[in-house]
Amino acid sequence: MIATIGHSSVLAALLLALWGMIAPILGSRTEQKAFFTSTRVAILGQFALVTAASLSLIYALVTTDFSIKYVAFNTTRATPVYYRITGLWGALEGSLLLWEWILIIFSGLVAWIYKDHHRELMPWVLMIFSTVSAFFLSVIAFASNPFDPIFPPPPDGRGLNPLLEDANMITHPPLLYTGFVGLTVPYAFAMAALIKGKLDEAWIMTTRRWTITAWFFLTMGNLVGAWWSYHVLGWGGYWAWDPVENAAFMPWLPATAFLHSVQVQERRRMLKVWNLSLIIIAFSLTIFGTFLTRSGVLSSIHAFSSGPVGTVFLAFLAFVLLASFGLLAYRADQLRGQPELDSVVSRESAFLLNNVVLVSALFTIFLGTIFPLISEAVTGVQVSVGAPYFNSVTAPLFLLTVFLMGVGPMIAWRKASWDNFKRNFLWPSAASLALGLALAVWRVRDFLPLLGFTLSAFVVFTIFFDTALAARARHRIVGERVVSALMALARRNQRRYGGLIVHLGVVLIFLGIAGSMSYSIEREATLQLGEALSIGRYHVQFEGLRGSQQPTHYRVEAAFRVFNQGHELGVMSPALKFFPSQQSPVGRAVFRSTLSEDLYLILSGFSELQQNRATLKVLMRPLLTWIWLGGIVIALGTLVAIWPVRKSSER
Amino acid sequence: MNRGRRFIIGGIIIIAALSYLIYGGMRQAIVYFVTPSELKGQEKTSKDKFLRMGGMVVQGSLQKDLKSLTYRFQLTDGAASVPVYFRGVPPDLFSEGKGAVVEGKIGADGVFVATIIMAKHAEEYSPPQAEKSAYPRSFVPGEEKKAP
Repeated sequence: MIATIGHSSVLAALLLALWGMIAPILGSRTEQKAFFTSTRVAILGQFALVTAASLSLIYALVTTDFSIKYVAFNTTRATPVYYRITGLWGALEGSLLLWEWILIIFSGLVAWIYKDHHRELMPWVLMIFSTVSAFFLSVIAFASNPFDPIFPPPPDGRGLNPLLEDANMITHPPLLYTGFVGLTVPYAFAMAALIKGKLDEAWIMTTRRWTITAWFFLTMGNLVGAWWSYHVLGWGGYWAWDPVENAAFMPWLPATAFLHSVQVQERRRMLKVWNLSLIIIAFSLTIFGTFLTRSGVLSSIHAFSSGPVGTVFLAFLAFVLLASFGLLAYRADQLRGQPELDSVVSRESAFLLNNVVLVSALFTIFLGTIFPLISEAVTGVQVSVGAPYFNSVTAPLFLLTVFLMGVGPMIAWRKASWDNFKRNFLWPSAASLALGLALAVWRVRDFLPLLGFTLSAFVVFTIFFDTALAARARHRIVGERVVSALMALARRNQRRYGGLIVHLGVVLIFLGIAGSMSYSIEREATLQLGEALSIGRYHVQFEGLRGSQQPTHYRVEAAFRVFNQGHELGVMSPALKFFPSQQSPVGRAVFRSTLSEDLYLILSGFSELQQNRATLKVLMRPLLTWIWLGGIVIALGTLVAIWPVRKSSER
Repeated sequence: MNRGRRFIIGGIIIIAALSYLIYGGMRQAIVYFVTPSELKGQEKTSKDKFLRMGGMVVQGSLQKDLKSLTYRFQLTDGAASVPVYFRGVPPDLFSEGKGAVVEGKIGADGVFVATIIMAKHAEEYSPPQAEKSAYPRSFVPGEEKKAP
């Protein structure tokens, strides 16, 4: 019953989506306004129907309707209600429905908010939304139907993968999907601008907040994924350059580049083709990511089981690329004749360089990700590309990005003067060099980390120095106090100060990565009762094993008393969980975070319970917490940038 | 004209730098997939390569020292077997007669020095071609990874 409601809603929505694709074309042929107005109705109709379909699946999951295959495979009678709901994105079919749902929510919002704006562009914007939606709906309807029945219904379901039963898994996929789907908004506006030949800056201005929002969700989705990996997977790391992690990270790079380069177009009307290309690439990469995850061409812990879905996504990807770049070529004449760079030493050129670096990073990661496919197809040799490739290739590129983060926001537009340099960079450079020297004298002797710390300090100093100068000026002229001067600054130029705060967050993440990658220590040992292992300043003493039967699994815990330079910190108990449905145990690592470092304990094996012998792996990872702090700072900065404030005078 | 030339020179510099980075990175990170019989007789030419080798742990070949966490065993694909040395903690499913995948380098003495061992979940060993599509997904997530 509920399956019928769900599936027919999907089919009806598909019909509306197809109408939404044709209507603007008929409209421009017949010049009847009704066709254009109907595109909006098509989107809002899809919104209602897809919402109905999604709620049907959620209802079926919550009521454990095991006559639906998807429900039987992804939930059990014992599953708590909230994990039944998250079952919606626990497997391929449901996650596609969630994707479509988020897409149509975005489309509906756009259709609703811009009801009386952009009369020329809107029908075409909505046509792009309907096209993407039609694709997802036909995959859901025909290739991977979450409402497929199973007969006879099993007495109990199979349940989620136990690793997915974690609070972070509730947020990680929806955050990422929201980021991916959010990029559809600037893409749809860009395509509409190309179709109508209205290639001014209107589409960029309109989609500014949408792009920042999508970028924010992408960033958070990736960070929560890293946090989940660190917190749950129990290997002590947060990023493995797994193909699917790369798939989620890759769109972030052109999206970040786009956020910066559109500012050059707003200011100087340059880089039009570049901006259009970036948003096409960013959008295509979200489809490519789905293809990688769903096709099973690359093996990965995130990969869903394979099926025909991969091929369909590849075909759609080819269509998107051909159509988008085809349109771009068709409008090439209108895109010529832009102003040229006045000087290499200018903000435009710093932004352009930052774009080149980000796109280079994208290219190297893309190559590393698909290299095994190329190698097997061309030479027949099976290879894999390990994390060292990605680390060594991206490290210099990200160092360069950090440097540009210090230069870009402070250097003048058009042509930087010597005064500009002296005023904005003299003190920050001197201070960061002094700090770098101090670090080198203290104990940071390796070149790359030292360079990374110095450049990070440079960025932080430029930001604080510039803000301090501006606040002082307000204090002198307007006579405001420091705090209210800062507030006024942020309010007057939200995007700038929001962006600077985001930069501080990115620097924190960069420092966390640099510290935890360059200075991690790892120890492994099999300990008898009372024996200890030392790592850095820490002592870890084994106190015994304990087994207990939990509702869903049997749990073996090992207790370790931890000392920091002889000072007792308490007991940490990593565990192994034995699920009846899984062939091997699932580890539960424990860790202790401080600002300077994380201590991470993994129980990798144990003897019979009575014998009390445990094999332990301990990691000490400096600065790791800064990654998560950086995420919080980025969230704050984004809020400052997009918070709707009524302004009395615009610039 | 001048502007065009500057762009070309800039482009060439960027591409050269990128190619250098990629080449250097690939050299230290490409892992070749081999079977014990493919490796047999090729120890010399494979000396500097990172290898990933799948096979079955030969019954009775496993010598382990729990105190120093060292393991020595033979890995076979039925046709040939290669001696493997490993220091660390192998996954829980690792044992004699079970499938395993090792990653590391081959030493001058013909012993494969593994840095990672991954156990196969399937009860029986199947030849690499058949296992190819199924294998990494059947691992416990996380256990094939090393902290970056």
